[in-house]
Amino acid sequence: MHLIDIYIQEVTRRLPGKSRDDIGLELRSTIEDMLPENYSEKELKEVLNNLGNPALLASEYSEQPMYLIGPKYFDMYMTLLKMIIPITALLAFFVIIVENIITYSGEKDIVNGIINVIILILGHGIWGMISSAVQTFFWITLVFAILERTDASKGKSSLTPGWTEWTPDNLKSIPLISKEKRISTGDIFGSLLRIAIFISVYFNASDLLGVYEKVQGKIQLTIPTFNQEVLQSYWLIVIVALILEIAFVFYKLIVRQWTSKLAIMNMVRNIVSSIVFIVVFSNDRLINDEFYAYLKDLLHVPLELKNPVIIISILLCLVFTLLDIMQGFRKGNMK
Amino acid sequence: MDKLLSSLVTELRRGTLMLAVLSQLRTPQYGYSLVQLLEESSVSIEQSTLYPLLRRLEKQELVESSWDTTESRPRKYYVITEFGIVILEQLKAEWEKTTKELQNLLKGDVENASD
Repeated sequence: MHLIDIYIQEVTRRLPGKSRDDIGLELRSTIEDMLPENYSEKELKEVLNNLGNPALLASEYSEQPMYLIGPKYFDMYMTLLKMIIPITALLAFFVIIVENIITYSGEKDIVNGIINVIILILGHGIWGMISSAVQTFFWITLVFAILERTDASKGKSSLTPGWTEWTPDNLKSIPLISKEKRISTGDIFGSLLRIAIFISVYFNASDLLGVYEKVQGKIQLTIPTFNQEVLQSYWLIVIVALILEIAFVFYKLIVRQWTSKLAIMNMVRNIVSSIVFIVVFSNDRLINDEFYAYLKDLLHVPLELKNPVIIISILLCLVFTLLDIMQGFRKGNMK
Repeated sequence: MDKLLSSLVTELRRGTLMLAVLSQLRTPQYGYSLVQLLEESSVSIEQSTLYPLLRRLEKQELVESSWDTTESRPRKYYVITEFGIVILEQLKAEWEKTTKELQNLLKGDVENASD
């Protein structure tokens, strides 16, 4: 008798409140039906064994699904996860890195310098990326788990991202993406990482870039390459160019393939960036005189280095920009 | 191998259980009497499947239930509804059609194998 009570309890506690009593009563009369008069414990166990694991029996009774997200929503769920998690993770990575750079106090101790600063900032960024990815994953999963349990429509077929039943017409809105035209996640991540590194270097150039020498057993930055004041005086146009770069990366993330429209946008952002680069580099106070002097000693050249350095930098910038623009059009116009 | 086979058999039989149960409910039955009735025709059914199945059928309004408290032990009796009978007849026709089709197919399989 005692075992029967426990068995019924183990089934009914897993069921919604209103059906508990009825199912419990029915189960009890069924079990008693199956037992002979004056049954032994062995016979009782046999009967209970016939009914099986109470959890399984309860799951058969239950109308709630025994899974978080079923086949109807799973495909849409995965699609949304794959689309949203990279965006939020990258955005968090980015925002945190920028935040860290702006608040970076710029300690002069260069032993803890460039490498540590980069590791520290990257560490914060990666941590932020992970936690935002986990957050996004949680909320999307929660929304779908609720949908799964509240959706009254009986259709079992998998939905399309537009929340409608699939028809062959859906195919018309999907482009066929060739391997060469596809923009990989790695590509996008690389672009964002480059932008992040650029920002961190730009705002801390006088602490990070330059000639490192061993002074009193410590490696220290003795001659900074750039004049931070001059560099920073261009912050407005640099930020305009950066915003354009970031917007371009996110646009790439959304379209996921090279098109001629994307190639034109690529050209625009390249032109803007190289104009900014040329404007900044053509300032002859940008690079410290001490650095030129050091370079002159190092290379044993008798010439004035200032103009050649500026010209070569600008030429290199133009060549790379041109190559990138051409590459964009090549991919964008490919069939 | 045995495990795979038994899971395939379970899957194959899943839909037919409802047919078997509905066909026996023209007279009111309670849970255990239904099990015995089915076993007489050597249809074995997991009890953990049967009782939840009865409740589902009730929810779909194919059967209705009532508690009989006149005897020493209260019992819940299930009986097929008018709607249930209509559905049962259609399912029966569908079943006969399917078995005929399958028989032809499987016969063809044997003939092909002997070629």
